[in-house]
Amino acid sequence: MFKPAGFAWLFVNEARILWRGSILVRTHKYVLGPVVVVGLMFQGIALILAAQIVRHPLPLGQMVLVANLNLFFFFVLMLSRAMTSAIDVLYGRGDVDFLLASPIPPGRVLAVRMLGVAGSVAVPWVLLGGVLANAMAIHGQPWALAIYPMLLAEGLVVAALAFALVVGLVGWTGPKLARRAGHMLALFMGVFIFALGQAPRFIPQAALGHFWQALLPVGSAPGVQHVFAKGLLGQPAALASSLAFSGVVFLLALVTLDARFASGAITAAAYRPGGTEARQGGEFRASPFAAVLMKNLRLLARFPGVVTQTVYRSLTLVPVVMILAGKLRIGSGTNVVAPLLVFLTGQLALFFISVMVVSDESPELAASAPVSSAFLKRGALVAAGYVTLVLMALPVIGVLARDAVLLPGLLLGMAGVLVCNLTLGLRLPIPLVRADFGKAQNGTMLGLILGVAVSSVWSLAVWLLVTPHPLAWVVPS
Amino acid sequence: MTEALRVRGLTKSFGRPVIGGLDLSIASGEFYALLGPNGVGKTTTLRMIAGVMRPDAGSISVFGRDVLADPLGAKAIMAWLPDEPLLYDRLSPMEYLEFVAGLWRVEPGLARQRAEELMETLGLWAHRNERCEGFSRGMKQKTVLAGALIHEPQFLLLDEPFTGLDAASSRLVKEILQARVRAGAAVILTTHMLDVAERLATRIGIISGGILLAEGDLEALQRQAGMHDGSLEDVFLQLTGA
Repeated sequence: MFKPAGFAWLFVNEARILWRGSILVRTHKYVLGPVVVVGLMFQGIALILAAQIVRHPLPLGQMVLVANLNLFFFFVLMLSRAMTSAIDVLYGRGDVDFLLASPIPPGRVLAVRMLGVAGSVAVPWVLLGGVLANAMAIHGQPWALAIYPMLLAEGLVVAALAFALVVGLVGWTGPKLARRAGHMLALFMGVFIFALGQAPRFIPQAALGHFWQALLPVGSAPGVQHVFAKGLLGQPAALASSLAFSGVVFLLALVTLDARFASGAITAAAYRPGGTEARQGGEFRASPFAAVLMKNLRLLARFPGVVTQTVYRSLTLVPVVMILAGKLRIGSGTNVVAPLLVFLTGQLALFFISVMVVSDESPELAASAPVSSAFLKRGALVAAGYVTLVLMALPVIGVLARDAVLLPGLLLGMAGVLVCNLTLGLRLPIPLVRADFGKAQNGTMLGLILGVAVSSVWSLAVWLLVTPHPLAWVVPS
Repeated sequence: MTEALRVRGLTKSFGRPVIGGLDLSIASGEFYALLGPNGVGKTTTLRMIAGVMRPDAGSISVFGRDVLADPLGAKAIMAWLPDEPLLYDRLSPMEYLEFVAGLWRVEPGLARQRAEELMETLGLWAHRNERCEGFSRGMKQKTVLAGALIHEPQFLLLDEPFTGLDAASSRLVKEILQARVRAGAAVILTTHMLDVAERLATRIGIISGGILLAEGDLEALQRQAGMHDGSLEDVFLQLTGA
């Protein structure tokens, strides 16, 4: 279809590789149905939301503030993902040297990689934001469609920055720490968004009002510093300027990195003499089960992003701690803690067992050993269950100290969700990392959807169990 | 001599037949090289003997232990080294050996001693606590070799064991394997390095089309190929029609 070795041909090849390594591939035929249903639900909600927005328009200043905040969130979340993607396409996939050895101009290879990353980080947000933009357009606000070019342009800036950052970080610290920096960014953003949502509970209304006031643009015509926000709000000149700026930043990064990429200096930076030091080994064990358990725990501890992803999931603990400490009251009181903890147990169990499955690079080694396959599965289940329970021990002790009557229901729910999600994750691990080049994706979206559903069902069951009149706070008698 | 491996009527197909009624016998203290063109089922044969793939038909026994009826008993005395190193990138060689020794229930004191000896011998000692993710192919191959040897298996199945090894390491591995054979173990290896097979193996089998075309030492193979002399390479090409 395209001229071989040309830009479009290379881009199609890159898109194909990115797609085949993506999380949707393995179970797309099962996932398509739920995705369409969820998409339609989102579109329905967006239509209602858009009607409200149109009916109660915000002043321009507040619109600019909302646009700025959205652009900021998108930027940081995209950057985090772009950094890990940049590491994958420059150092992880292993085909850069092959392409550099081909007669294709290196600059074209780099440009395609950067564009691929830009697209892959922007598209999910474009799809999400597009739902609201479509609804706004249906309600007679076509300016909202500016989100499409604006987010794609933001993807270009993000990709440019991510490649520059990654090249610098890898040269300085190596790919592992650079990858960790990307994960930390995501964690920072997650905590920030969560804290922002919780802010009205801690910060006095007046202080919070001052904070937002300070962020509002001064005067009736927002200045040049708000050009991107105005672009997102569909102002033609601002939109054109934003797109031009993004293109220039992208080209600048490309031109800056091109010579180093062509010389192989960028990819060579990942090769370091010797490997990363691991903790001193040498604790030989006679029991195969102990050996399997220790191996699983080590692989879990060394899984990229395990800390950030665990913390991310454990943000549920913040309201739990506040409720137990008496600083926050939601619905029916401390009872709410039980379903929250059950949900968290389910999500952590699903995450840890998925890490075990995805990390097991050499299952055939154990298959050739004199141990049964059930034994190995048990090893993975026990390791994942053990880590989950260790993390959940402290909150459970908190419940015991604060409201011991919740404990039977809580423990029952935790045991149930643990068993269900560990079993589920063993068969359908959630997608955690992009598949290695040439390898199939282990994780499945179906596992993720079912896991969240299982956690929710158990949470609901426990809530009904521990709350005498579960709906009393919603429907006053 | 004890019969180390006895394969009878081994059959496997993946849509099309790959192995069609293979018979194979190897005695203890024997170094057997299984040769054949690409895609004729050498790796599949080793995988079935190692107990990681079930044949469609046939029987396999290793030192009298039935691989199909008593897989765990048979695996306990075997080591299988596939063509791609079965390694965990995020474990160090020492941790990898801990894991393998544990799987084969090697007594901890003995396992530690063997691990240290193997790592010293194979030049891994300086890297024992580094994660394998940064290792070269040769280093990875040496690590999995150490893993294959830590439980002192009686029967070794080696699929292209010299891939990625430098000349010195390659010689070292050959010496280690020959020492194991002298001690009464049996080795079956596949390789495309015919000179290595010619020098190392006590017997060579040439497989093609899922069956054993010829078997024996070089002289026997020459006879079966209808040749009076010629290298193993000549015989191989004659027999396989390549």
